[in-house]
Amino acid sequence: MSTTVAQDRYAAEKQKFQELFDQTEAANQQPAHPLDEYRQRAMALVGQLDFPTRRWEEYKYTSVNRILQPDYAMGQVQGVDAADIKTYLPEGMDAHLIVFVNGQLSESLSQFAELPAGMHVMLLRDAMDSDRFGSVAREQLDGILKDQDDIFVALNAAFSQHSLFLYSEKNVACEKPVYILHLSTNAETPILNSHMNIAVAETGSEFAYIEGQFEKPGATGTYFNNIYNRVTVGANAHIHHYCLQQEGAEGFVINRVDAEQDRDSQFSNYTVDLGGRIVRNNLNTVHKGSNLTTNYYGVYFGKEQQHIDNHTFIDHAVPHCQSNELYKGIVTDSARGVFNGKVMVRKDAQKTNAFQQSSSLVLSNKAEMDSKPQLEIFADDVKCSHGATIGQLDESSVFYLRSRGLNDHQARAMLQHAFIAEVLEYFKHEQVRDFAEMLINQKFEQ
Amino acid sequence: MLTVKDLKVAVEDKTILNGINLEVKPGEVHAIMGPNGSGKSTFANVIAGREDYEVESGSVLYKGEDLLEMEVDERALAGIFMAFQYPVEIPGVSTSNFLKSIVNANREARGLEEMNAMQMLKYIREKIELVGMDEKFLRRSLNEGFSGGEKKRSEMLQMALLEPSLAILDETDSGLDIDALRIVSEAVNKLRTQDRSFIIVTHYQRLLNYIEPDFVHVLYKGRIVKSGDKSLALELEDKGYDWIKEEVDAVAV
Repeated sequence: MSTTVAQDRYAAEKQKFQELFDQTEAANQQPAHPLDEYRQRAMALVGQLDFPTRRWEEYKYTSVNRILQPDYAMGQVQGVDAADIKTYLPEGMDAHLIVFVNGQLSESLSQFAELPAGMHVMLLRDAMDSDRFGSVAREQLDGILKDQDDIFVALNAAFSQHSLFLYSEKNVACEKPVYILHLSTNAETPILNSHMNIAVAETGSEFAYIEGQFEKPGATGTYFNNIYNRVTVGANAHIHHYCLQQEGAEGFVINRVDAEQDRDSQFSNYTVDLGGRIVRNNLNTVHKGSNLTTNYYGVYFGKEQQHIDNHTFIDHAVPHCQSNELYKGIVTDSARGVFNGKVMVRKDAQKTNAFQQSSSLVLSNKAEMDSKPQLEIFADDVKCSHGATIGQLDESSVFYLRSRGLNDHQARAMLQHAFIAEVLEYFKHEQVRDFAEMLINQKFEQ
Repeated sequence: MLTVKDLKVAVEDKTILNGINLEVKPGEVHAIMGPNGSGKSTFANVIAGREDYEVESGSVLYKGEDLLEMEVDERALAGIFMAFQYPVEIPGVSTSNFLKSIVNANREARGLEEMNAMQMLKYIREKIELVGMDEKFLRRSLNEGFSGGEKKRSEMLQMALLEPSLAILDETDSGLDIDALRIVSEAVNKLRTQDRSFIIVTHYQRLLNYIEPDFVHVLYKGRIVKSGDKSLALELEDKGYDWIKEEVDAVAV
C-alpha cells in the first residue's frame, strides 16, 4: 500500500514567491545587513506555513486564490511626478509624507516635514543600526517572527525592503501626522508590494500615522499590497492609525495590524476601504494593562466585483478596559462585504465595557454581505453590546428627498453618504476626515 | 393651475378616489375636508407623485401639462410642493446641507445660478425668520428627533425656500397645539400671493380660522360631495360630517 501525503494546495505559488525572493538582495548568502538575516528567516517561515483556504474558518468568506495566481515581480518607481502626489495631499493636509511607488521608496517624491524632537521616523534598517533604537527594533522583529502562524506576515517580513520605524519618546506629542503613501502605477508585470511599519509610542506620548493606498487614476495593472503594522502603545500613550484605501480594479490588499496596549493607553484605528478587487483587513489588539481604550472605526463601499473583508479582534485580557467598534459599509452591483468582529473577554477582564456595531446597506440583488459578531465572554461583570444590521435604503426617505426636487441618483447618494458619515465623525484629525470625505464623495460620483 | 378631471385611484385593487373633479386657479386657496378614510390624503399624495397608487382613469393637468406622467422630482422642480403629514426623519443628513441642495436643485431647474455659501446663508436666515424656527435646527439631522410642531415648521421652511406655484398641505395642522398652528398659518399667509395656489387638506375646521380659504370641498367616499366657501367649513364644525354622510348615502340608496 502506498500512502499519499496531502499536497500543499499552494505549493506552486509558494515556489514562485521563493524564486522571487531569491532574486532580491536579501537572499545573499552573506547578508549585507542584519535586516536581511531576518528576511531570510521570514522566507524560511513562509516555506513552513500554509496559505489559507476557504476550509479555514477565518477565510470562509474570502478566497486568497485569485491573489496568489499572478506572476509577481518587484516594482519600480515610475510614471509618477510631484503633481500626481498632490492629488493625495489635499489642501490643509500638513503631514510628514513618505512616498512609495509600486512598493519602492521614493525619497524625491517624499516631503519630510519637521517633526518635534523626540518623534522619530526612519527606515527599520537604520533603526537597527542605531545605538538608541537597535535593541527595540530587533525585539520587535523577533516578536514578529516568533510563533508567527500567518503566512502573509512571514511573506511581508521577507519582502519588505523599506520597512519603517516610527517611535515617539516619553511624553512627546506629535501633532503632524506621518503619512505613508503607497501609489500604484502602470507596470509591465504584476507587482508585489510588501511593506511593514513598526510603530512604538513610549509612555505618555501621542502621534498619528496615515497609510494611504491608491492606484494612480488611469492605471490598470495587477498588484498585491501586503501590508503589516506592528503597533506598541505604551502606558498612557495614544496612537492613531488611519488606513485609507482606494486601490484599482485589479489591486489586491492584505492588511494586518497587530496592536498591543499598555495600561491607560489608547489605540484608535480608522479604516476607509473604497477600492481594490479583494481586500482583507486583519485588525488585532491585545490588552496588556488596565484602564485602556481601543477604538475601531471603519467605512467601506464596494461596487462591481469588489470583495472587502474586515476581520477585527479585540482581546480584553485585563479588567477595566473599554473598546468601541463601529463599522458601516455599502455594497452594490456584485460586490461582497464581510465583517467578522471578534471580541474576547477573558476571565480576569472584569468591568470590561465593549461596544460593537456593524451596519451595512446592500443595494443590489447580486451584492452580498456576511456579518458575524463573535463575542466570547468569560468574565461575569462586564458590559458588552453588539449589533449587526444589514438593510436597504429607506424608500420613504428617497421619496421625501425627491419630492423636494432631487433626482433619484442625488437622493440615493445623499442617503448613502449620510449612512456612512456617522463613522467619519469619529475621525480625530479634521484634515484626514475631510480627505476621507472627499474620497468617498468621489466614489459616489463614479 | 391645476385641473383634475374624473380622477379615479385605487390602492391594491381598492378604489379610494372615485371621480374627483377640481379646478384650482392661480392664487386660490382650496380646503379639502372630510371624515377619516374619505380619500383626502390619497388625493394629496397622488398630486405629489407617490407611486403606491394606481390611477384607473381621469386626468390631471398642471399648468397645461399631464401631471400624472411626471416623476415626483419633476413635479417638485415644476413648482409643486407637498407638506407631508408625517415628514420622515433622515439621520445623518444635516438640515442645512439638505436645504442648500434642494434650493440649488430648484434654482437650476428654473435657469437660475446656484447660490454661493454666503447668499445661501442669508436666504435661509431670511426664511427661517419667516417661519419662526430656531437656527440651531440647521445643524441637526433632518427632522431627526424634531417634535411634531418642529417637523411641520421645517416643512413650512422648505416651502418658503422653494417658493412653489402650488403647495399642498397634508393635514399640516393635525396634532399641533394652538401656538404651533398659529406659526404654521402665519407662514402660509405670508406666502400667499396672486400666483401661488394652495390645497389645504385638513380634518379640522380650526386651521381655517387662521387661513381663509376661497373654496371648501368635502370629500366623502372618494368624491367631492359638497363645495362651498368658508361658511361650509363653519357649518361642518357645528354639525360634524354626519349630515353630509346621510345626505350622500340617502341619494345612493
